[in-house]
Amino acid sequence: MLTRRTFTNAAGGLLAAGALGYAFVPRRARWQHQVPAGRVALRYWEKWTGPEGDAVQRVVDRFNASQDRSFVVRLPVPETYSKAMVAIGGGDPPDLVGLFSWNVPYFAESGALMPLDDLDLGAYAPAVAELLTHDGRTWAGVNTCYTLALYANRAHLAEAGADTIADGGELPRTLDELDAIAERLIRRDARGRLERAGFLQAVPSWWPYLWPLTHGARLFDEDERRVTCDSDGSVAAYEWVSRTAERHGRADSLGFARGFERSNLSPADPFLTGKVSMTVQGPWMANFARRYAPDLDYAVAPMPVAASVYDPERPQGLLEADVIGIPRDCPHPDEALEFLAFTQRPEVQAELCAEHCKPSPMRVKPDGFFEDHPNPFAAVHDAIVHSPNAAVLPRHRAWKGYSDLIVPAFERIWTGADARATLGDVARRAQALVDRADAARARREERA
Amino acid sequence: MTHGSAARRLALYLVLAAIACAWAAPFVWMLSTSIKPEEQALDPTIGLLPELGAEGWAASVRALARQTSENYAGVLNSASADFPTYYRNSIIVAFASATLMTLSSAFVAYGFARISWRGRELAFAVVLGTMMVPFTVVMAPQYLLFKHLGLIGSLLPLWLPSAFGGAFSIFLLRQFFAQVPRELDEAARIDGCGHLGIFFRVLLPNATPALAAVFLLQFVAAWNDFVGPLVFLNHQEQYTLALGLQMYQSSHGGTPWSLLMAACVLTVGPVLLVFALFQRAFTESVATRGLKG
Amino acid sequence: MTRRSDLAAGLAWTGPFWIGFALFTVIPVVLSIAYGFTQYDLIEAPLPVGLDNYREVARDAVFWRALANTGLFAFASVALNTVVALGLAALLEQKLRGREFVRALVFAPTLVPISAVAVGWLWLLHRDDGLVNAGLAAVGVQGPDWLGDARWALASLVFMSAWVVGAQVVVYTAALRDVPKSLLEAAAIDGAGPLSRFVRVTLPTISPAIAFNTIVSAIWALQVFALPLIMTRGGPQNSTLVVSMYVYQNAFQYGRMGYASTLAWIQFALTCALTLVAVRIARTRVTSRAGAGL
Repeated sequence: MLTRRTFTNAAGGLLAAGALGYAFVPRRARWQHQVPAGRVALRYWEKWTGPEGDAVQRVVDRFNASQDRSFVVRLPVPETYSKAMVAIGGGDPPDLVGLFSWNVPYFAESGALMPLDDLDLGAYAPAVAELLTHDGRTWAGVNTCYTLALYANRAHLAEAGADTIADGGELPRTLDELDAIAERLIRRDARGRLERAGFLQAVPSWWPYLWPLTHGARLFDEDERRVTCDSDGSVAAYEWVSRTAERHGRADSLGFARGFERSNLSPADPFLTGKVSMTVQGPWMANFARRYAPDLDYAVAPMPVAASVYDPERPQGLLEADVIGIPRDCPHPDEALEFLAFTQRPEVQAELCAEHCKPSPMRVKPDGFFEDHPNPFAAVHDAIVHSPNAAVLPRHRAWKGYSDLIVPAFERIWTGADARATLGDVARRAQALVDRADAARARREERA
Repeated sequence: MTHGSAARRLALYLVLAAIACAWAAPFVWMLSTSIKPEEQALDPTIGLLPELGAEGWAASVRALARQTSENYAGVLNSASADFPTYYRNSIIVAFASATLMTLSSAFVAYGFARISWRGRELAFAVVLGTMMVPFTVVMAPQYLLFKHLGLIGSLLPLWLPSAFGGAFSIFLLRQFFAQVPRELDEAARIDGCGHLGIFFRVLLPNATPALAAVFLLQFVAAWNDFVGPLVFLNHQEQYTLALGLQMYQSSHGGTPWSLLMAACVLTVGPVLLVFALFQRAFTESVATRGLKG
Repeated sequence: MTRRSDLAAGLAWTGPFWIGFALFTVIPVVLSIAYGFTQYDLIEAPLPVGLDNYREVARDAVFWRALANTGLFAFASVALNTVVALGLAALLEQKLRGREFVRALVFAPTLVPISAVAVGWLWLLHRDDGLVNAGLAAVGVQGPDWLGDARWALASLVFMSAWVVGAQVVVYTAALRDVPKSLLEAAAIDGAGPLSRFVRVTLPTISPAIAFNTIVSAIWALQVFALPLIMTRGGPQNSTLVVSMYVYQNAFQYGRMGYASTLAWIQFALTCALTLVAVRIARTRVTSRAGAGL
């Protein structure tokens, strides 16, 4: 007799049988289908998806087509550095891993990467070469490098009247000029809430530690192993941030900024939609502008800095690189090395950087690199790469913990906390992290 | 029916409606966004259904069907997330975990319910006490333990511990076994059964509701488990749905919201379907009549 | 029926649990204690540092913040969930049409992974366009930035935890159905109103269920991890950083497995202590047929 019970039991049984059948029919993961028979499959964890990921995929495809021993499979993995560390520690690493340059000290010191002694460092711009090395050895090759600069909406600037900019320049170069223009561009809605902002350090919120360099200060003194985020220059920088927050309304502007958290670099991006007239961004912005806002009229200049440190010949900016390394004890080190060497070839580099709209990390660029470059302002970013004033993130393994202290500190300062006290607190704690890591390292070396 | 009573009933219905809305809202929003084109996904001015510019009923339904299949196909064929593989892994882990947990917990529950032995109460307290151990305490050492066993790189770390029983399942089953009448035991014993015989002939057949409940609860728990996969799984082809979904969301470069919601529906759908079919089993299981005695 | 202690059989039948217990609980816990006295990053060998980690914990303002957040979250969520679950259970016991459907709706959230509903909730709680604030605006109230305002973020998580009370509702439903009608009728005859009947008769009778739910949900709340990780990542300004998250960050992102072990241990000890205190209280306050499993 067909009762409801029987029906549901039968349905459940069918569902279960179907599911189990689906699960246990042997099949390989999608990427495993791509590997041609007879080739060694190399796993390459890389952070990029979307158009940037496609650009990397093209490099991978070129390599795969150029030889027939190995086949690289690119796997998009978020938070690559964290998962890589866990995987390497678990004895289950991929063959190649895409990291950030600030991961290098940590990975190098723990011996998580294979040293790349045969890499020719002379081919790179000196600042970039430094990012690839630690303790005198080379640990990674470079995928792309990038610098941060000011992206500004020309139409908005015209509206504000750029007569306040010295030298008849187009974009503000000092903080005072920046503040003056930003002030004029503020627009509020009927409820008095922020509708458009000229410039907010909280948009995007990815680099809360960026601002000390606007006053020529740095976050870390490598020679003395000292955390310096509480130096006078740094405090002045964050006080400038605090004043910006105050002028826009602290809570309101924070809510405004936070509303874009998930929209950055999408069609709803605050800069691309004109909600923010000027923003500090990386060269990839040109890529996304091309896709989502092709009619946007924008210009790029190095970050505005305090008048006392302004030097047009030596622009300030943050330099970082996306690097590629080989985990220690990976399954196929020789083949991995082959691919890595391939990615470091000048023509491969040039193409990848162009597709990412980024400047080139090489010392010598191929002819026509800038002329054909899809980022109309690549030269600006490039100038920062070669500038003696370019800043890099602290080359210390405790950097992640240090930066995680700065994130809430930035928000506290934004909502009104005293900059000097807050930064002093951060410095104290970050210094403890640094000292502890250095002490542990010394002890390990003693035992070895 | 007095006036006050009618007013009271009205008030109760209002509250009920409010609760229904509040509890259903996230699901409804999830479903509604998953069938919209990307530009309309986050637009608050558009209602539950997308505006697809179709005229008339038939065309609207066709347009909606097309948009829906486009979104869902987009998820299943996504380059950055291999959802069919995630499904497969989730099925394996959930079934293995649920089956092993049910069987092993039944064995252990028998030991606590039907055998009297010295130290039993203390032992049971220890069993319950394991619920207090935070996963954070054991996750790193467990990771290293599995590494030394060479199991990192497979799905085993996710379901192997279930083969040894779990506190909650044991608790549930023990309560249930305690209520199966002992006369049945006696009858079986007269027939010459030892403990094993009583277990298979008397207790298991009479405990089907509880066994089903334990199976379903563990299935759902394993299906939804996020932290375990986060810690133990390194490679994308091992990911389960719960983890894969999280990775899909946080991928570099921003995921389209409509696809994201479609992925959520794909993750949530099967379990809700099972729930719809076996609702009684779930709710009765958690009720545990054993709470009385 | 033999009365002698059948220790061998008892241990044999419960054996699977003890094996798993040793392998996956005891050994890791012991290892965890050991790691608490080292600096360890998963790749290099552990480096013994004595009590350094414990000294660092004492000075670690982030940890104390996380502890405070966790405690606050646990307290608020247990309190709110008890009230909401009891209320829902009582409401769903009234003879109202459609109540079975609502009952299923209330239980459904417990079945879905948090990662699936998190994004939906993120949008619902959006400051400008989210449904919650839109609804509040309709009645003239300006809703705060639920997840972005440091004062509200933890409260938002507490509210979200109330969304998954389904399991507790089921327990309370069963308990409510067990309240003997005779007792309630006797009280009514004595002139007690509905509220008084609830407090004097119903609550004491279902006290075992309340104790059970409270303890189980407190344990969960003290170990909560996925909810804040996915919804707010511990922000804003560390207002939703819970201990489990901080342990995870130290272990898997900063490469400080030793320090993470120390933190995890302290979390464990506190959970144990609180639970034992709660059980003790429950034993004394819970009436009659209680003690089942406690």
